[in-house]
Amino acid sequence: MRTGRLVLYTVLVVVTGLFLGPFGWLVLTGLKTSAETAAAPVHWLPADFQWHNFADAFHLIDFLGYARNSLIIAFLYATLVTLSSAWVGYGFARLDAPGKKTLFGVLLGSMMLPQMITLLPTYLIFARLGMVDTYWPWVLWGLAAAPYLVFLFRQFFAGLPRELEEAAIVDGCGYATIFWRIFLPQSWPVLSASFVIAFTWTWGDYIAPQLLLSTDRSTLAVAVMSTYVTSAGTPVTHLQAAASVMYVVPILLIFLVAQRGFVAGMSTSGLK
Amino acid sequence: MRAEGTPSAATRGATGVRVAPAAAARPAGDRPPTSMSTRRHRAFYMFASPWIIGFLLLTIVPMVYALWLSLTTYDGISPHWRFIGLANYRELFADPVTWDALGRAGLFALTSVPLSIVAGLGLAVLINRPLRARALFRTLLYLPAVVPPVGAGLAFKSLFDQNSGAANGVLNIFGIDALGWLADPYARYVLLMTVLWAAGNVMIISLAGLQDVPRELHEAARIDGAGAWRTFRSVTVPLLSPVLLFQTVTGVIASVQTIMPLLLAAEPTTGGVTAIPQSNYMYMMHVFAEYFALGRYGYASALLWVLFVLILVVTGLIFRFTSGVVFYNVDPEAKK
Repeated sequence: MRTGRLVLYTVLVVVTGLFLGPFGWLVLTGLKTSAETAAAPVHWLPADFQWHNFADAFHLIDFLGYARNSLIIAFLYATLVTLSSAWVGYGFARLDAPGKKTLFGVLLGSMMLPQMITLLPTYLIFARLGMVDTYWPWVLWGLAAAPYLVFLFRQFFAGLPRELEEAAIVDGCGYATIFWRIFLPQSWPVLSASFVIAFTWTWGDYIAPQLLLSTDRSTLAVAVMSTYVTSAGTPVTHLQAAASVMYVVPILLIFLVAQRGFVAGMSTSGLK
Repeated sequence: MRAEGTPSAATRGATGVRVAPAAAARPAGDRPPTSMSTRRHRAFYMFASPWIIGFLLLTIVPMVYALWLSLTTYDGISPHWRFIGLANYRELFADPVTWDALGRAGLFALTSVPLSIVAGLGLAVLINRPLRARALFRTLLYLPAVVPPVGAGLAFKSLFDQNSGAANGVLNIFGIDALGWLADPYARYVLLMTVLWAAGNVMIISLAGLQDVPRELHEAARIDGAGAWRTFRSVTVPLLSPVLLFQTVTGVIASVQTIMPLLLAAEPTTGGVTAIPQSNYMYMMHVFAEYFALGRYGYASALLWVLFVLILVVTGLIFRFTSGVVFYNVDPEAKK
């Protein structure tokens, strides 16, 4: 019994170590000199911790500018998509109409639709509409609700008691009022989970901003990947590593703070 | 905000029909239940409309547009593009590059999906036992799944660097020569490791499933003399099967579309097309190459449509072949 526990903890500690390893290595790489990141055999630890790499990475490019762009589109998209998904989710949870079942089937099915496949033609259409190099695509995507989040909200709203809106209906409130005044204020846990999920998606997305935005309007994801190069085009590994640590850490912090709601949100969507 | 222009049933009943000219046309108060339900119907569509309109404009329209492009020679620049019927499809089916890329994507799905499901489920089972610091382990194991792909890509790149990477450093300790991890033939294994690294995603959803497995079932199995493995196989796995099916389907769809790690591993200056190790030149990479390096929008659209149909077929087959194996909880009351 005792040894069983010991084995279990040992396995968990080792696996956790392996899982944290790559990120730890990235931090170490960000603290080395340029020579150390290229030297063979490996330098496990930097001879001197180059803390100034983080400042250098920050000043070498317009880090704040890119971070601001990332923040804008992530915030814009997350806010809009959370509200629109809650709105649509309310409809699917509390109202009915002919065709609702079919529509819900389409909604669930569209979750399985390969996203990359629509992205390339969407890019061509946006290019034709002059929406390339603007943040309009994120506004439109946000307004259109996301099936995954709609499902999350539907599950939550469907679980609330009927009595909640009965009095309001008798009083003659419209459904929009019921949604804003009664259901939305009840759904803080899902709202925050949805916001964090959507924010994380957008902050982490590389392909869409890479396709749709020019260099100086682009996001941190694109900048970290492609701007830390010498004039000859070779990547400056140590600064790139430092920059990507600064790029990743906000997301990790948001996750750690919102962890409970986030995990609950992820797990209610297990499609059981 | 009141529902504009639509008087409620109560108002109409109390103050008569004069407030709403539209309602006055109908025999007032004649069929209140029906007008209540038409109101509900209308309200449903009002609530569903953002998604319906968005789905039509941002999914259906692009798909149809791509279908149309796939029948043309459109390249985005030349004004002399023309309709060529199925020629793009004929060309792509005749091209061995398509088949090789498809084969690699298939192989990648066949290895990465089962591996990450087994790893995620395994972690979930470990974590589901009574443990000290369970929340801490759960959080730390899930953490890689929220690391943005660009961060993950760079971390793995420096980890597997031929000269200064930690992977070769470890091999060196055991007296093994440094390997070129990021080139053929090892690049595909590094790619698999990046997928496994995010197994926390599967873990979280499996964990939620595990916690829904009724205690009594495990106890009953134990009384019947079943060992831990037997209980896991005959009780836990069948009960988790819908979750596992969901993981399989979404996993396959995601893996076939894998593009980011491939783009990230390539040289940024070449548009990510030529510098990629052959073993990672998968279908989606091929589409990207045709799209952006060669500007063959028509041909690339044909490639996309073939992939779309293939995904539909594969998803359909997965559902078909698992219908006898996947066990849905037929007694929803049991949970409450």
